Amino acid sequence: MFHWGRLLAVAVARRRFGRARRPGAGREALVGYGFVFLPMAVFVLFFIYPMLYAVYISRYNWGILGPLERVGWKNYTSLYHDTLFRRAIKNTLEYTVWVVPAQMALGLLMAVVVNQRIRFRTFFRGAFYFPSLASSAAITAIAIYLLNIDGLINKIFGLNIAWFYDTRTALPAITALNAWTTAGTMMLFYLAALQAIPTDVYEAAAIDGAGPWRTFWKVTFPLLKPGHFFVAVVSIIGAMKVFDQNYIVSKGTGGPDYSTYSIVLDIYNTAIKDAQLGLAAAMGVVLFVVIFVLTILQWAFFGRQEAA
Amino acid sequence: MASENEPIKPPPLAALDEFLAGEEVAVGSEVPAGIPGRATSERVQKIIAYIALTLIAALFFVPFLWSLSTSLKPLPETANFSLLPHTWTLAGYREVWTKFDFARYMGNSALLAGTITFSSVFLASLGGYAFARLRFPGRNILFFLVLGTLMIPDQLRLVPIYRMLTFFPVTHWNLVDTYQGYWAIKMVSASALFLMRQYFLTIPRDLEEAAKLDGAGFFKTFWRVMLPLAGPALAAVAILEFQGTWNDFFWANLILQSPPHWTVQVGVAQFSFQYGTLWNDLMAATMIALAPVVIVYLFFQRYFVAGVASAGVKG
Amino acid sequence: MRRFLTLASLCAIVVFSAVIFVAGAQARFESAKAVAKTTVTLTGWASSPAETAALKTTIRGFERSHPAYSVNYAPINGDYPAAMLAKFAARKPPDVFYVDSNVAPDWMSQGVLAPLDSYIKKTHYSIKPFFPRLLSAFRYKGHIYGFPKDWSPLAMETNNAMMAKAGVKPPKTWAQLVSVAKKLKAANAVPGGQPVCIDPDWARMLAFVYQNKGTFLNAAKTRPTLLTPAVRQAVNFYVGLQNQGLSGTHDKLGVGWCGEALGKEKAAIIFEGNWVVGYMHDTFPNVGYKISPMPKGKAYGNLGFTVSYSIGKNTKNKAAAFKLLSYLTGPKGMRLWTSQGIALPSRKDVKIPAGRSAFIKQAGYAHAWQFAPGFSKVIDTANNELQAVFAGKESVEAMLVKVQSAANDALGG
Repeated sequence: MFHWGRLLAVAVARRRFGRARRPGAGREALVGYGFVFLPMAVFVLFFIYPMLYAVYISRYNWGILGPLERVGWKNYTSLYHDTLFRRAIKNTLEYTVWVVPAQMALGLLMAVVVNQRIRFRTFFRGAFYFPSLASSAAITAIAIYLLNIDGLINKIFGLNIAWFYDTRTALPAITALNAWTTAGTMMLFYLAALQAIPTDVYEAAAIDGAGPWRTFWKVTFPLLKPGHFFVAVVSIIGAMKVFDQNYIVSKGTGGPDYSTYSIVLDIYNTAIKDAQLGLAAAMGVVLFVVIFVLTILQWAFFGRQEAA
Repeated sequence: MASENEPIKPPPLAALDEFLAGEEVAVGSEVPAGIPGRATSERVQKIIAYIALTLIAALFFVPFLWSLSTSLKPLPETANFSLLPHTWTLAGYREVWTKFDFARYMGNSALLAGTITFSSVFLASLGGYAFARLRFPGRNILFFLVLGTLMIPDQLRLVPIYRMLTFFPVTHWNLVDTYQGYWAIKMVSASALFLMRQYFLTIPRDLEEAAKLDGAGFFKTFWRVMLPLAGPALAAVAILEFQGTWNDFFWANLILQSPPHWTVQVGVAQFSFQYGTLWNDLMAATMIALAPVVIVYLFFQRYFVAGVASAGVKG
Repeated sequence: MRRFLTLASLCAIVVFSAVIFVAGAQARFESAKAVAKTTVTLTGWASSPAETAALKTTIRGFERSHPAYSVNYAPINGDYPAAMLAKFAARKPPDVFYVDSNVAPDWMSQGVLAPLDSYIKKTHYSIKPFFPRLLSAFRYKGHIYGFPKDWSPLAMETNNAMMAKAGVKPPKTWAQLVSVAKKLKAANAVPGGQPVCIDPDWARMLAFVYQNKGTFLNAAKTRPTLLTPAVRQAVNFYVGLQNQGLSGTHDKLGVGWCGEALGKEKAAIIFEGNWVVGYMHDTFPNVGYKISPMPKGKAYGNLGFTVSYSIGKNTKNKAAAFKLLSYLTGPKGMRLWTSQGIALPSRKDVKIPAGRSAFIKQAGYAHAWQFAPGFSKVIDTANNELQAVFAGKESVEAMLVKVQSAANDALGG
């Protein structure tokens, strides 16, 4: 009886206090906080605070030097009716849907290739990563040149398209350009993830008689789950924030005919050219919410990592 | 096959021992060429694959070949689209070095990129390890906060950060136009931390547990056991941080205002004007600016050692 | 040993960083004490190396004639509006800086510029020599917020060889423009290109609107006036040039802008401002061309692109800033600035640089390129819609209706 009671007490205690009752848990928590302190300080100071500031001023008509009048939710409702903003959202989503799978697939493919013990591996690693090395301004300048109506690309394929200035081809051209430049970065991420897979796995698969294709899909691909999550999240976030190329190509107007108008371009124009910081902040909040929802969805699909 | 949530466990510490002994980790075995006649068709496949790869690689380089050739042309000739210059000249490079203070810009960029790479690698691996392996209350919330910072566009942070830099809270420093201010903002990046966390998640726990049995504290486990295993991820972070800082224009333009503090990207922006870009100078500057990033990349990419046995995925 | 080393290096890094931080912050306090002269900061953007050189000459002229002052010139490369916005918001603007006439309404209405009237009175500075239309671009609610430092209208540049081949002279009226273009086409004087290069850009088309006695906004800038026959005619004429096959846009001609079309000889007639002269000289020195005034529609009309020097509302030493500002835009300073022809003087009492008379002649009917506060999105919309018209996807009337309604929204009407 006495014995049962004590067991029960311990069981109840374990349930109530659970993990905290592990020995050394307090110390581990302190160390944990210590390790993340400096990064979190930077993030809170330079990211979270500006975001909260944006949420605050989005309820105002906020000019350069401060609030002009308090408008409550009016900024958000006006965004709902703003055809330009809606077009920006449409363009950005369209762009994301195309560029993210392209980047991920290309990146994964290249990573798998350069992960092997092929000859001139270093050369190929350099070549595939090269487009990612240059700054976006430099790459866009080069792209404008090559995609000129008399430029190299048209000459090779015998076409006569003004790629960045035709409403049907401007956004696809930017999509292709960015997929090309960012695939190298994804390749890097996947390469790191592939490195974490121990070779015994492949040896076991070989013994089992699996061919290269099956090995890739049944063994490598699933083991890359943390890598997929990372690449997908980073890819989507980056795609939703597309700005540099659109700005340079359209000279800030989002043309031709609004086809390259992206959400961040709208934020930029509203904040800096029109000096309407409150409205721009509202746009930023909307963008943040959209990306946040997308990320949560990915977390649900990929990300449930048993970290502890 | 093993379940999807658990990576296959190698014999404890075997990989570590191998690595520390200076060997290439995870060296696999070649597929035995068992079936006769298979060798030749394999050879042909291999050659085709190499040719395809080389073509693709060449494709990736072509745009930069144009850059290079433009940088070697005199300005009037940059108007036509020939791949090879008619007149070869180093005037572009000379102008960039002499008329513009390019050596100084490179120095500034190198200083900033170097310090930020160091701090980022250190802080991201520390934080990433904590998020991956240490348990503390609110860990998931904090991690979501970290992810959340990625979702905020730079343009939105412009005004609050600039105001903060002109009058830093508590200490009242004016950090505008200082290296310190720039470093403070870019000290560590969320994507680097995220990457390290994901990588640490894939390392089997036995190693840490073995270290704990040996009596190692948390930092020691991190420093002596986990970090050496994270070579590829650290290399990735180093490359990305160096390159990200080197290629950054937005914050450098905003914070490092006086010409002695300009970085390479701000300096390069001098060559594009609203009407009439100095193409040859611009391309020369771009080529010069690319060189250090290429070097850093080539240096670090060797940490991606041969990982997969040829049996796995053969080209 | 290893442990000690790592701990030591960590400590060293921490201490080192702290020292740098504190030392850097302190240095700023100390350097401020050491200055004997009054320093004035000057900011702007650089349009070309020639311009930067001319500006530095002008600054040296100021420092020599005003030995108690020294100028700290730190141009902003790349994103000028973003950097200035941040400075304004932090209430730490530079002393003297550029203000483009296009953003002037926004900055003036938001109160980030300092009114100059009291300094004008105190120093007895005469503003009469400024071209009145340019100066009024920087007037707001009866106060002056900047002096125009230079300006440029549009002009017509024609390729000498091609015009000679077709046996035509630079057109003086709209009708002549069309007939000259047709003759150029018939004589195949522009192989691989088009006789005229025009772009779907209101910053060019508006000049033609003015030539037809139309306007974008009414005089009080409270209402848009786009749905008038004058505007419709002008836009139809402009777009009509392309529809008749007499002109091409820059992308169809394979160039970055119409100036490049002139240089690459893909067009015989273009409409650009003074900036094209330096560009042609540097990039296409061998192409011969002539500068003429813009053709006449029902009247003469043109745009004036101008930039002012202004002082910030939160600038500490406004008197010193005004000293620099009044020199730079005064007769002596402006002469130094414009003597090489990289910019055109905005004062009547400064000598016109060689070869630029065709531009200056048009000062009397140049309208400043600016609208009302909050209008930059309207212009973006207008340009996007105009691009749709040029691509044949929209009618001129539909575009005008859309732009009119966007303008009404921005004006709060």
